[in-house]
Formats: sequence, C-alpha cells, structure tokens
Amino acid sequence: MKLLTHNLLSSHVRGVGPRGLPLRLQATEVRINNVEFNPDFVARMIPKVEWEVLLEAADHLRLIEVPKGPIQGYEQDETFLRKMHHVLLEVEVLEGTLQCPESGRMFPISRGIPNMLLSSEETET
Amino acid sequence: LQFTSVEYILGKVFFTTCSDLNMLKKLKSAERLFLLIKKQFPFNVPSVSKGKIFSEVQRLINDDPESWLNVISIWKNLLELDAKKENLSQRDANPQKIKLGKNDTIIAEKLKTEQMQETEETRECQLEKQIEETLEQGDSLTKREKFQEEFQNDVAKAVDTHNENNLTFRVSCRCSGAIAKTFTAQEIGRIVGIALMKQFGWKADLRNPNLEIFIHLSDIYSVVGIPVFRVPLASRAYIRTTGLRSTIAWAMASVAEIKAGMFVLDPMCGFGTILLEAAKEWPDVYYVAADVSTSQLLGASDNLKAAGLKDKIELLKVSVIELPLPSESVDVIISDIPFGKKFKLGKDIRSILQELESPVAFGTIELSCCLLSEAHHRRLKDGEGRSIPLNSKGGHTDELGVAKCLIPEEKNGHRMLDKMPPFGSLVPMECYKVSLGKTDAFIYKYKKSHSSGL
Repeated sequence: MKLLTHNLLSSHVRGVGPRGLPLRLQATEVRINNVEFNPDFVARMIPKVEWEVLLEAADHLRLIEVPKGPIQGYEQDETFLRKMHHVLLEVEVLEGTLQCPESGRMFPISRGIPNMLLSSEETET
Repeated sequence: LQFTSVEYILGKVFFTTCSDLNMLKKLKSAERLFLLIKKQFPFNVPSVSKGKIFSEVQRLINDDPESWLNVISIWKNLLELDAKKENLSQRDANPQKIKLGKNDTIIAEKLKTEQMQETEETRECQLEKQIEETLEQGDSLTKREKFQEEFQNDVAKAVDTHNENNLTFRVSCRCSGAIAKTFTAQEIGRIVGIALMKQFGWKADLRNPNLEIFIHLSDIYSVVGIPVFRVPLASRAYIRTTGLRSTIAWAMASVAEIKAGMFVLDPMCGFGTILLEAAKEWPDVYYVAADVSTSQLLGASDNLKAAGLKDKIELLKVSVIELPLPSESVDVIISDIPFGKKFKLGKDIRSILQELESPVAFGTIELSCCLLSEAHHRRLKDGEGRSIPLNSKGGHTDELGVAKCLIPEEKNGHRMLDKMPPFGSLVPMECYKVSLGKTDAFIYKYKKSHSSGL
C-alpha cells in the first residue's frame, strides 16, 4: 500500500463521524520501489493530498526529507516533485496495520494489500 | 489509424485503411479483424427453395474467383511483411517500420459480439469500430510467398514456400436471422467448402489450416472474410487472466472519460480487467482496485505484475458497501457489477449504487459507470416510483432523497435513456447495450449533479 492510498482512506467504522477519520498507520515491513518519475502526474496529485495525514504517516514510517506542505510554484519545482514522488509513490507498506483513531479497530495490511472488511465474512468464488 | 469510408452494420464495422499491421493490432474495442472478400445483400430466404439457395451460396465463390485470389494475395502480403518485421526485430535492436503498399489496402473488421446503440451522436471512432473494408489491390504481387505460423510477436517461424494451389483451409460459418431457420451453419459451411475445393483446388484441413474463411449470413448482409490475425484482437498480450472481456473493459473505460490526474476506483474489480485496460490507455491516472475476495485480489495482483502495472494500480480489500473513502473523493467509479451464476452479490444493485454515490465527487467531469445485467437493468427501471431507503450507516453527508420517475418518451434511439430514472443525485447520462456472447449487458453512465435529491 502506498502512502498516496493511505492518504485517501478514511475510517468507515460504525459510529465514527460523518466524514470518517484518517487511519493511523503502523508498519512492520516497508519496501522502497523504484517507480518511474512522472512530474506531471505527481503535480496533479499534490492538490489531493491531506498534508497532516501524510506527515503523520511519514513520521510513523520514519521517513526523512518529507516536504511539509506544497510550496509556491511546485508544479515546476523538480526537487519538490521528486521528493513527493518518493514519499507518495515509492514507499510501499507491505506488512502493517491501519487503526481507526476513534474506535481503536485495527485493519491489517498483508502483502501490500490492506484488508478493510468490517465484517469477518468474505465472498469467495 | 487512418480509416476511410467507414460503415456500421449491427456488430460489424467495415473500413478502409492504409495502416500497417502493428497499428491494427492496437485496436482495442474490436474482437477480431478480417479481410473482406465479399459483402452483398442477404439471401432471400422465404421465397426461394433450398436448392436455389445452395446454388446462390456456391455463386459466392464461383462468380468472382478473382476477388478471392486478390484477397488471398493481400493476406499473404500482409503476413510476409509481418514476418519480415519479426525477423528484423529479432536480429537488431531497432525494427524497421515497413509500410504497406501505397495502393488502397482495405481491411474488413468484424466485431464478433459487440453491439453499441448510441443515444448520442459522435462518439469517438474507437468506441464504435464498425467498419467495412473491401480489399482491392492495384499491383500484382511478385514477392516470394512465405507463410507465418503465429502472428504473435514472440514467435515468428518461417514456413516453406507454398503456392496457392496447396492452400489448406477451413470454413467457419455463422447464420442468423431467416436463413438460420432453413439451414444449419454446417450445411452452408459444407457447400462453401466443396465449392472452394472445386474452384481453387485447395484442400480442407479442419485442425490446422493455413487459411480460415469466415462467413456470416444474416438478414442484413452476407459477408465473407478471412482473419488478419490468428489470435483474436481481444486476447491481450498483457492480461494473464481475464474476467470481463477485454474489449468491453476498454470500451467502459473509454465511456468513463478518464483524464490525467483523476482518481479512478473499481470497487468490485475481480481480476482487475477494466482498470488494466484503462491504465494501459490512460497511464497518468491514480487507480485503485478493490474487492472482497482475496483470491480475486491475488489474481489481480498477478495480472498487474504480468502487465507491468504494479505501480499504477493499488489494491484494496474492502466491501463495496462499506467504502472507506471520504465523500466526494473519487473522480470516476467504474465497475462490472457481478451477476450470473459465477458470483454472488450480497446486496441489491440499488443499495450498491447508493453506496457509490457518496464517494463520487460533484461536478461535470466526475461520473460513474457500470456494467449491469438485464436483471439489474430491470430492477433499476422498475424501482422508479419507490423511495430509496436511507442506507444503514446514516452518516453520509449526501442525502439520497427519492428517485424521481421519468415519464419515458419513446423517441427513436433515446428510449434507453428516458427509461433510466435519476438515482438520488446521480443522473443517468448514457446507456449502451453490449453483447457478451451468450448474454447481454448494459453499460450505464451516471454523473453526479447538484440538482436532484438534495
């Protein structure tokens, strides 16, 4: 699971407020991938980023060199974009958990795929 | 691709082109591609005796052997060029692009089971792909004849020189409409086969023929063609296990108007076919594929690796009715809603749409698109008058309100659209009927608007 995805998720546990809450990220296994840098794509993702969520997650993962927020003229700033590219798209959590801050409910991340099923039943084919 | 003289007829697109094979291989919404030998008016079945029809069919071949031979030559020509290209690309790093002859090369494309009923005019050419082409060639061929065993890029074997008399062939025949009531496909196939043997001296080989002849006789036309590629265009090199037919998946992604920078979600992704097609075509987009089943997700993961799209599509295990996404965070939701015996759908189709309504963002660009079966389609239509119960969570910021009932006005071509009521704040935009082989399905496109429901 990439940090960009984590950034977009919110808790859907019953009883949690209407907009959901960001999930607390803990990781036991992280992998850094080499992803092709596409400045245009990164620039488009920047407006969607919830910065506090991102910074907290990056903190939990002990990442360094994470920009604190969008800077003026970021679309052309390659250094900035490369850092964001790294944080959002190259860091992958392979094993870990996501926790709903209000209910405490934990969701596991296994083989890079977060399991956010609320009920324990699955539909198998 | 430069197409000229395009014509659509019910599931087939006929067109003329000068493009080379590589370009043609990239056609995404077509199932198969054929070189047209003959296209003419349908046989007049009811008024004519069976014997007469037999002779009519024979005339398809005997009347105009020239056109048959021409097409075969062009076909060989195409194969040769392709074979040369393969050999070249295997020898050196930079394959040279060989252009087809400057004369009009016309190729018929046959969409095996795709039908699109448009409610709007002017969709992009790629979507419809019903094109007719007749092959004509100015020059005569002087090249040495070579045949290629496989048309796939990794395999290129050169076969011994054959001359035309040693061609082996097989006839595949499809009959629909009135003629299907009088004849079986096998009968027609047999007549054609015998006529071909008599006319050209070719031998029939059912198992592994050089040449396959496809005939389709219907109420609208009689068409004869030979396939350009051995493998149907619909089998993609980059998808290992398909769920939905890749042509339809591509078509859905196309209808969804995905643009760079968008966030696209498939909440019931299965093996991820739709997003795979979308990601290949529109790479600068953030894709998330979700499913409740681990095995499906693992299959999807496999597909992603095989296609080299692991970095483009994220996987999530989540239920479509409990999406952990804030309101209005998704630009496009695109999905093939499970139906049929293979999958169970835990909840009703309508409650699914309700769930999807919230995460979809407002505005003109944002929309959702899904593939529904006849049953779903009916349920969506029937539910018009009733109010939709608020979902169990009760925590959404968007109110659902009552689905308004549209009084349908049966205009030609707009029928589908009028019968689709708005779904809360989701307004139906377009509806296409597609054929999946044995069953039919519909592609629905909704857009979220401010007006209704709130």
